[in-house]
Amino acid sequence: MSSSEEPQSLASTHSYLPPWSSPHVIGIAGCSGSGKTSVASQILKALNVPWAVILSFDNFYKPLSPAQSKRAFANEYDFDAPEALDLDSLACVLKNLRQGKKVDIFTYSFAQHNRTDVTTPVYGANIIILEGIFALYDERINEMLDLKVFVDTDLDICMARRLRRDIVYRGRDLQGAMKQWMSFVKPNFERYVRPTMEIADVVVPRGLDNTVAIDMLIRHVQRTLTVKSRQHLEQLSNLNGEIAGQNDVDVCTLPNVRVLKQTNQVRGIHTILFNRATKRGDFIFYLERLMVLLIEEAMNAQPYSIKEVPTPTGVPYTGLLPELNTCAVEIVRGGTCFETSLRKILPDTAVGKILIQSNARTGEPFLHYLKLPPDFENKQILLCDTQAITGAAAVMAIRVLLDHGAVEKNICFVTYLADKARAMRRILSAYPRVQVVVGKVEDTFKRRFIDTKYYGT
Amino acid sequence: MSKAATLSITSKWPEVTVVSQTPQLIALFTIIRDVNTKRGDFVFYSDRIIRILVEEGLNHLPVKDIEVPTPTDVTYDGLQFEGKICGVSIMRAGEAMEQGLRDCCRSVRIGKILIQRDEETAEPKLFYEKLPADIKDRYVLLLDPMLATGGSAITAVEVLISKGVPAERILFLNLISTPEGIETFVKACPGVKIITGFIDKCLNEKKFVSPGLGDFGDRYYCI
Repeated sequence: MSSSEEPQSLASTHSYLPPWSSPHVIGIAGCSGSGKTSVASQILKALNVPWAVILSFDNFYKPLSPAQSKRAFANEYDFDAPEALDLDSLACVLKNLRQGKKVDIFTYSFAQHNRTDVTTPVYGANIIILEGIFALYDERINEMLDLKVFVDTDLDICMARRLRRDIVYRGRDLQGAMKQWMSFVKPNFERYVRPTMEIADVVVPRGLDNTVAIDMLIRHVQRTLTVKSRQHLEQLSNLNGEIAGQNDVDVCTLPNVRVLKQTNQVRGIHTILFNRATKRGDFIFYLERLMVLLIEEAMNAQPYSIKEVPTPTGVPYTGLLPELNTCAVEIVRGGTCFETSLRKILPDTAVGKILIQSNARTGEPFLHYLKLPPDFENKQILLCDTQAITGAAAVMAIRVLLDHGAVEKNICFVTYLADKARAMRRILSAYPRVQVVVGKVEDTFKRRFIDTKYYGT
Repeated sequence: MSKAATLSITSKWPEVTVVSQTPQLIALFTIIRDVNTKRGDFVFYSDRIIRILVEEGLNHLPVKDIEVPTPTDVTYDGLQFEGKICGVSIMRAGEAMEQGLRDCCRSVRIGKILIQRDEETAEPKLFYEKLPADIKDRYVLLLDPMLATGGSAITAVEVLISKGVPAERILFLNLISTPEGIETFVKACPGVKIITGFIDKCLNEKKFVSPGLGDFGDRYYCI
C-alpha cells in the first residue's frame, strides 16, 4: 500500500465529494427510430444546465476490420447485434464517470466505420443520460443505472422514421435501408431489445409524442437535482474536521498557510479598498498593488533548490532557483482581478480559467466552464480568487484540479480576503496539503464586493 | 547535506532595515547577479526587487488611524497614509528605480541629482540637481541601487539637508549594500534610514560590491 493513500474512514468531515462523483444515471432504451434520442434531448433541453450530458451508444461501435467494413457498405453487417458494440468500454467509461473522473469519449465515424482521432472530454456531469438500443441490456451497465427508461413506440412508426433518416440524412437507398431493417434491426429488436423492457422502471409509449411522460421524467430529474444540491450543501458545511490532528487549531498558524504581513502599507491599502467612498480608479490601482504583494508572497510557497551563479565581479554567488515552473488558474470572476498583477510578476505564465458560479439563494457552487493550462499538473499552480467566504468555490476548484492530475502540495490558493472559520477551515480540512496565501483574514461574513467594484458591474 | 543559499548579512545598525530574505527574493537576486543574465531579464527581475524594496520603504512613513464606512455598512478601523513624499534618484542608476516607485505611488514627484567622481580629487562631486521646490516639507525616498563606498549617497544627503530636509525624513533605498559603505554612511548621515535588499560580504579592492552584480547602471541601461 502506498503511503499517499488516504484511509477511507476519514470521509465525512475531511473529504469533499463533488456532485459529479455520484451522478444520477438514466438509461433510455428502445427500438431504432423509437425516439430515444429525442426523449433524451428533450430532457436535456428542459434542464438546461451544463452538468447534464447525453452519453450515446453511437460512439461505442467497435472499429471494423476491412472485411467487416466491406460488408457494412453492402448493408450486410449487423450493427444491431450486441456484439457490434464495445460494451466493455462503455461500462468502463460509465464506471469512471460515476467516480467523478474525467473521461475522453471517442467519436465514431459512420462514414469510415471506425473511431476518429477526435475525443470529447466529459467531466463534472451530475446527470448522465445513457441512450441506445442496448441501454438496458448489459448487466454491468444496468447495475449503474439509477433510472431505467424504455421508449416503446409502434414498430411500424419506428421503421418509417428509420427509413426516412437513413435515406434523407445518411444517403442510403431505399432498398439497402429496407434490407437492413428486415434482416437485422427488426429481428435483433425482438430478440435482444424488447425483452429489456421487463427491467425498465418506466415505459414511455409513443416516444416524443408522449409529452405527459416526458414531463414526468423531467420533473423526476429536477427533483433528483434538488436532493443532490441539498446533500452537496450539507457536505460543504460539514467540512470541518480535524486539521493537523487537532480540532481547534488556528488555521493561520499552519505551516502551509501564509497571511500577508500586515504592515502599515498593507493596512493602508485595506483601508482604501474597504472604504465605500473610494473611487474605482483608486480601487483598481490599490487592489492591483496589493495583488502584486500577494503573488510575490505566493511565490514563497514552493520548493527552491540551491543554484550557484558566476557574477561579473568573478566571485560566485550561491542562490536559489524555483524547482517548478509556475502557472495560474483563475476562478472566474473574482480571480480574474489578478490578471494585471500576475502579468507584472510572471509575464509569460500560462493562465487557466474555471468558472464556478454560486447559486445566489443557497450558495451552492456549480462548475460551468473549465480550461486548464497545458502541462499544469507538472507545475506550481497559483489558484486565484479575491474573496473566499464559504470556501465552496475554492473547495470545488481544488477538486477539479486534483481530478485532472494536479498534485495537492503544488496547488497554492491565493486570495485577498478569506473567512477564517469557514473558508480557510473547509479548504484545509478537505485538502490539508494545499498551500494557502491570504491578504487579509476575516472573522465575520462579508458580502462579495471586490470583483464588483473592480469591474464596475 | 547540501550547501545553503547565501543570505544577507544581518544588520547590526539600527538605521538599516534589510528586506525579508524570502526564497523568492533570493531567487530574484540569483538571477540579477548571474553574469550570464541578459539585459531584458536583468531589467525585469531588478524591477521586481525594486518594487519589493519600495513597498518595504513606504512602511517607514507615518500613518494615522482612521475609520471608514465599508460597502457592507460596517465601519472599518484602518490606517491612512500621512505626509507628502517625493523620490530623488541619483543619476544614472538610481533612475532605474523610479518606475518601481511610480508603480506604488502613481503621481509621485521625482527629483534628480547627478554626482560624478572629480577627476582631480577622486572625491564625489555634485554636478546637477533638480528637486521639488517644497522638498523641505516632504519625506524623501533617495534612490540608488548600489551602496558601495557610500560616497555619492553621502553627497546626495548633504544636498538634501542643505535644502532643509531633516535627516529623519530621508529614506535611502538600495538593492545591495556593503558593511563598509553602511558604516561610512551612518556615521556621515546620522538619522537617515537605509532600506536595503541585501548586505553583501564586502567592498573589494576595486571598490566594487562583492560578490555584487557588477555595474548596475551598465547592466540596466547598456550591456
